Amino acid sequence: MSKNHKGKKSSVHKATASNGRGTPTSPEADSSLRTYAIADYRLEKPVFRLQQVHVGNEVKYTVTGDLTAPVPPLRHSKYLDKKQLIEIYRWMLLNRRMEAALENLYKQGKVVGGVYFGLGQEACSCASAYALRPDEWLGPMIRNQGSLLVRGFSARDIMMQYMAKAGSPTKGRDASSHFGDIENRNVVAPISTLGDLIPVLAGVALGARLQGKNIAVMTYIGDGGQSTGVTYEGLNFAAVQKLGLVLFVENNLWGYSTPADMQFCVKDLAERAIAYGMPGVIVDGTDACQVYDAAHEACERARHGEGPTLIEAKMMRMKGHAIHDAAEYVPKSLFEYWRKRDPILRLEKHLLDKQYLTPQQNQELIAGVEKQLEQDRDFAVASPMPQPESAVGGVYCDVACHEIKPKYGTPKSSVTKSGVVTQRKEAAVHLK
Amino acid sequence: MPQLTYLEAIRQGIWEEMERDPSVFCLGEDIGIYGGAFKVTDGFIDRFGPERVIDTPIAESAIVGAAFGASLTGMRPVAEFQFMDFIGCAFNQIVNMVAKAHYRWGAPAPLVIRGPSGGNVHGGPFHSQNPEMWFVHAPGLKVVCPASAYDAKGLIKSAIRDNNPVIFFEHKYLYRRIKEDVPADDYIVPLGKARTARHGRDLSIITYAAMVHTALEAAEILARDGIDAEIIDLRTVSPLDRAAIIETVKKTNKVIILHEHARTGGLAGEIAAIINEEAFDDLDGPIVRITSLDSPVPFSPPQEEYFLPKVSDVVREARRLQAY
Repeated sequence: MSKNHKGKKSSVHKATASNGRGTPTSPEADSSLRTYAIADYRLEKPVFRLQQVHVGNEVKYTVTGDLTAPVPPLRHSKYLDKKQLIEIYRWMLLNRRMEAALENLYKQGKVVGGVYFGLGQEACSCASAYALRPDEWLGPMIRNQGSLLVRGFSARDIMMQYMAKAGSPTKGRDASSHFGDIENRNVVAPISTLGDLIPVLAGVALGARLQGKNIAVMTYIGDGGQSTGVTYEGLNFAAVQKLGLVLFVENNLWGYSTPADMQFCVKDLAERAIAYGMPGVIVDGTDACQVYDAAHEACERARHGEGPTLIEAKMMRMKGHAIHDAAEYVPKSLFEYWRKRDPILRLEKHLLDKQYLTPQQNQELIAGVEKQLEQDRDFAVASPMPQPESAVGGVYCDVACHEIKPKYGTPKSSVTKSGVVTQRKEAAVHLK
Repeated sequence: MPQLTYLEAIRQGIWEEMERDPSVFCLGEDIGIYGGAFKVTDGFIDRFGPERVIDTPIAESAIVGAAFGASLTGMRPVAEFQFMDFIGCAFNQIVNMVAKAHYRWGAPAPLVIRGPSGGNVHGGPFHSQNPEMWFVHAPGLKVVCPASAYDAKGLIKSAIRDNNPVIFFEHKYLYRRIKEDVPADDYIVPLGKARTARHGRDLSIITYAAMVHTALEAAEILARDGIDAEIIDLRTVSPLDRAAIIETVKKTNKVIILHEHARTGGLAGEIAAIINEEAFDDLDGPIVRITSLDSPVPFSPPQEEYFLPKVSDVVREARRLQAY
């Protein structure tokens, strides 16, 4: 959630016509007058504030700010052609409708545990992952089920995860988006704690670089998750090592039930980039074109060995934390504001307005997605639960189960003769 | 055969693996030009270059996370912790991200986390701990604690070649105190296998790391009393060599379990349970535990000496057990 940053804004974050990369605008400039810039691709810059207030005997969240602004069009993408935009649109549709199907499966008692939704965040998941190449890596968070689809997992895979089926990617051993693939899709399975993927993805880029290849690696963190210490550690490590990390900070305004205003106190989370020494970018997370363009530029930087980028995507989580949570703590007016900025409706309108799709083609595309989902759902529902004893095994990697070899070729080995095998120095610590 | 210290043996082991396999690299705090706080990686940066000997920020979660990420691309990272006491900073990465990866989603994590642990060096509560049990309780990790220079070299090489995450607890008390013949050629000591550090008939002392030397010293004193102690050096504490534990119990019928970490929830409890399950009928006396106190490691030398298991404790308990 954006909010007014009182006082010292102008001296620290003065936006100038700089390189836009979160670096000082001029090396010659007086160091006491540092100026930085955060690239902001948004066409509207809403300023809200969420506060806890006493209403009668209750404490509630209230929102202040202009909630009546008209919805701007999508920003024209500098990079996406018609075909690519339609592909992204299709991924977003699949993402949303798959989650609707999961909600129904949950209501039918077929899901084990909860269901997590990316409703309202489909552009951020799908258009970001779309910027990666097949040999690059992604680490999704719980709401980035769309990213998993783009990386090549099927709706069937995700449904089977939620239903804890034997044929799920983790063979029933973990739930939701908690799966990955190191062989083909290059996806790191997330864990439930927040921020831990950031150093891991940085390490993936490090591994690839040691093998002579600069790749882009992408992961996500929320406005809530960015509060964790490992987020700082991972970003700082990536910055110091100039690793090709592309971090989407998905500012969806709510960390479970706690509003962004209670998670951090900078105006924009992209400002964090300045302190890490990396470029920061702000995008409207409901605009697939902005998300893609920022992701693409960050990936290109990564591929050229120029280091990490932090992209803040502003949007709203349009459901509760998980299916059990009705999100009654969210002011209704905020839902109304963001419902008008539905990422799929916005992209659909964009495609129709530009005549990239005719209404009939659109209906055919939607029908195709529904048909695919129906098949995936039927398959997932009919597939068996795991045998109880399949809980056993696989704790360790046996010699036979994996052959470990560098993915991008033989690592660079710069052995010199200058080293000596015999140790030269004695202990430098005082502990004897 | 050259005589090497325990520290030099570890250093050579890592060095040789880096020579042998270009996918092995090191990362950690002050390991580059400085060569590490204890100089285990001394000279590495000159030999292998700053790409493969990476000085990191002081950020243990990032070190483990980055090591895991690199391992997913087929690298074999060796991450140094300046003191194993600081491993708590990276606990979540180790037990939730790394340890569960293969079971959950089939991702092997061929990485090593290594560094100095252990007391008797007056390091106080944050430079003396033996935190191995935190990880013994996390399925998916291997936990290694060598006691000799020969084993230290052979085990670090095995750890680097293993396809699983290995936490390698070096004992800093032993770093420069022991010196042994260590082959210059390539050899490994397998993970998960104990060794008999001393053969004996009357009772068994099951232990590992620095306490092996405490047990050996006690055994010499006991020998003068005519008590012939067998000493089992576990070498790997997870997974445990259950067969070796059972075998020695069946041989001597009396067992002392000796470790440097705190008593409650310690490894002795687990080993006692294994013996109870698999060799109860072979026991001629109670299973005896000799451990540190259930307290943090105190700083002042008289306090630390009181806190740690001593040779005299082992001798006393062995004499008591022998009477059964």
